[in-house]
Amino acid sequence: MRLALGRFDALAERAVVGRSFYRAIAWPLLAVVLALGLTALLILFAGKNPLLAYAALVRGAVGSWDRVGVGLNKATPYVLTGVGVALCFRARVINIGGEGQIALGGLAATWIALMFPQAPPVVLPLLALMAGALAGAGWAALAAGIRLRRGVHEVLVTLLLNFVGVLIVSEALQGTLGEPGSGFPQSPLLPGAAWLPHLLPGSDLHVGILIAVMVVVAGHALLWRTPFGFRLRVLGASVPAAAYAGISEPRTVLSVMSLAGALAGLAGGVEVLGVHYRLIDGFSHGFGFNAVAIALLGALNPIAVLPAGLFFGFLETGALAMQRAVGVPTPLVSVIQGLTMIFILSAMGLSARRPKA
Amino acid sequence: MLRMQGISKSYGAVHANRAIDLDVAAGRIVGLLGENGSGKTTLMNILFGMVVPDAGTITFKGLGLAGHSPREAIAAGIGMIHQHFMLVPAMTVTENVMLGWEATGRWLRPAAVAARVRSASSAYGLGLDPDARIEMLPLGAQQRVEIVKAVLRGAELLVLDEPTSSLSPPEIAGLLGVLRRLREEGRSVIFISHKLGEVLEICDEVVVLRDGEVAGRAAVAGIGRRELAHMMVGRDVGAPIDRVAHVAGAERLVVADLAVRDAAGIERLSGVSFSVRAGEVLALVGVDGNGQAELAGVIAGVDLPTHGSVFVDGADVTAGGVTARRAAGLAHVPADRGTTGLVAEMTIAENLALRAFDDPPLRRGPWLDADAMDKLARERIAEFAIRTSGPETAARTLSGGNQQKIVLARELGGRPTVLVAEQPTRGLDPGATRFVIDQVLALRAAGGAILYISTELEEALLVADRIGVMYKGRLVGLMPREDVDLSRLGLMMAGALEEHPDAAALYGVRAP
Repeated sequence: MRLALGRFDALAERAVVGRSFYRAIAWPLLAVVLALGLTALLILFAGKNPLLAYAALVRGAVGSWDRVGVGLNKATPYVLTGVGVALCFRARVINIGGEGQIALGGLAATWIALMFPQAPPVVLPLLALMAGALAGAGWAALAAGIRLRRGVHEVLVTLLLNFVGVLIVSEALQGTLGEPGSGFPQSPLLPGAAWLPHLLPGSDLHVGILIAVMVVVAGHALLWRTPFGFRLRVLGASVPAAAYAGISEPRTVLSVMSLAGALAGLAGGVEVLGVHYRLIDGFSHGFGFNAVAIALLGALNPIAVLPAGLFFGFLETGALAMQRAVGVPTPLVSVIQGLTMIFILSAMGLSARRPKA
Repeated sequence: MLRMQGISKSYGAVHANRAIDLDVAAGRIVGLLGENGSGKTTLMNILFGMVVPDAGTITFKGLGLAGHSPREAIAAGIGMIHQHFMLVPAMTVTENVMLGWEATGRWLRPAAVAARVRSASSAYGLGLDPDARIEMLPLGAQQRVEIVKAVLRGAELLVLDEPTSSLSPPEIAGLLGVLRRLREEGRSVIFISHKLGEVLEICDEVVVLRDGEVAGRAAVAGIGRRELAHMMVGRDVGAPIDRVAHVAGAERLVVADLAVRDAAGIERLSGVSFSVRAGEVLALVGVDGNGQAELAGVIAGVDLPTHGSVFVDGADVTAGGVTARRAAGLAHVPADRGTTGLVAEMTIAENLALRAFDDPPLRRGPWLDADAMDKLARERIAEFAIRTSGPETAARTLSGGNQQKIVLARELGGRPTVLVAEQPTRGLDPGATRFVIDQVLALRAAGGAILYISTELEEALLVADRIGVMYKGRLVGLMPREDVDLSRLGLMMAGALEEHPDAAALYGVRAP
């Protein structure tokens, strides 16, 4: 989905303010409700029954343990990447490079898994995920470096590096990492030892969601309970105050970008090792931008990123069922996501314009 | 000429204006006094049509004004000169005067406007060149451009918001002369200010606002400075400053040959050397923008000097940044508490921890210690009498005086050895100003060395043991307070006189 980039700064500014849990959650909830309501009208205009459509969507999303597992798998990379983006936005660093960071994370994880097929089952996925996180961190650090050394705005740098990152993956799949004779740009199947273990036997649900929950808790603690989080919040609120407090802007920007890149890279690794079991061209498509939307929907609170990510994940898995059952096309889910974001942006704009005493 | 009656305006539970009456007769200069948040700005915004009042009527030259826009206010003959000038820096004086002014008809006629600027300039003694670009003009001249703009648009009532805050003493004298000439013509002026001295000098009458209400009004002829201050804050702040005479001790802050170039390579500070001893206040005066901010920045470690060194208690901290200076006991009250000294969105507790959050006891292992932060905040709130509902209140909700108390509590609470205070009383009412000065003098008595940067001569003379003058990035004068000659000081601030301080001989500054 596309977002108005120009509003990011203003949004980050608004979001830095809200600490109260209820205040943080009221606007996003309202936005979601309004978006669902408006979409219901669209479904009605298309001649379908919106209630049936939504019922099918909910059934498709959470109708069985199997579906829940698929939804959780879908949400995992969103949550992982969203937490990193939220931390960046807190420091007023507008990182929209999630897609490229995810792509390179997946590439690195694939490479490690294919390099050491003989490694034992627990060690290999750990190594591969670490490699993915490192690659993502490196890619984000490169963007941070260009911003800090050359003064190019990070929105531009991270956006453009997305294309480069995705193309590097394509290039690798056309060359050494590609599966010979498959006719499709993808890697060979990864060795079974590299696959992420499943949580429930017989379902697709893998351990990724546990990692995501741990990251959410760690992100919350980092933001509110550590000196590093304090630095992020001061820097995001006022650059001169940060300088006055002895907080190094370059060091903080580099750290938070690398951290967000590592989480995105981890998400890429989880996606490859837990869902596809191979690297597929374009597997990260749209993930980075959805993560930005989720971070904003979560009002830049790592804890709230979890429900926001789950919402997006279940919405997407439910959409297929909705199409099958009622004939409402899946792109309608993008409409819901887009409307939600528009309402959130509007709500923030409105609350910013309220007169102050 | 102007009659505002029963003006009320509230935002939620806050009464910004409550039943305010304001009368301005033709040919009178009325001073509008009041601390920040007392309702002056709201009242003037209502007059200018930028805010709609809840109740009350405005009559201007016999005509009612209600629901009017700023454009209509200008057309009626009200001119507003804001503290921050509304000029386009890259355009000339004439172009700025023409901007948004349709009196020249369908076609722009720069030559005709320039002629009118020239004649107004000579009539009021403004000394403006119509073809000069705004960005090349000093602030005093830019202000005169604003005055010309208003006068040519036919303003019969001029509202000046804090007009002297960035002017040098000779420029202030010039401005007051211009205002007198406008008064002679029968025009009226509303003069908004904190500075009691100027108000008493130029105004015919004063109206004092406090908490959105009129706290008092008086003819200037019959009132003194102390009564005015009392009206503004509602209590007596005129008690004599307790300033113990004593001999200064060892040098605690030494700066040697400091120079700073900005990003464009322009020298903002050059060859500044001085020292401040224990138990001494050195006040640096000068018009805003003559290198004081750069000097404070490099001493406090926010910026690095391009040349020179800073020593605190004999230790070279030049390259160490903010952290090294804090470790050496240097405290810093920055000029802009809104964006630098405080983080408005964060809580009082977080703001009190702003510079010490990474040191024990506020940091315990890898974690911030919320309990320690809370404990520190409660101690400081009590010690510095910060009026707030608690440590978790957002700093932005406090008044200017209480915000500055947070900054002072943070910086002075740690018993610093050296204090760099940049305009610590800017925008504060007399009560809060007095609090700041008392705190600074308490640190002086305790053996601290204080560098006090101010644009207020009067205040500098009150706190200082020595006075230094900054002009165009250099220290152009340095003298003990007893030797100060006010007119000479004014000339130095305007750059017309330079006394190379024979620092080595007089004050024993060594080149370390």
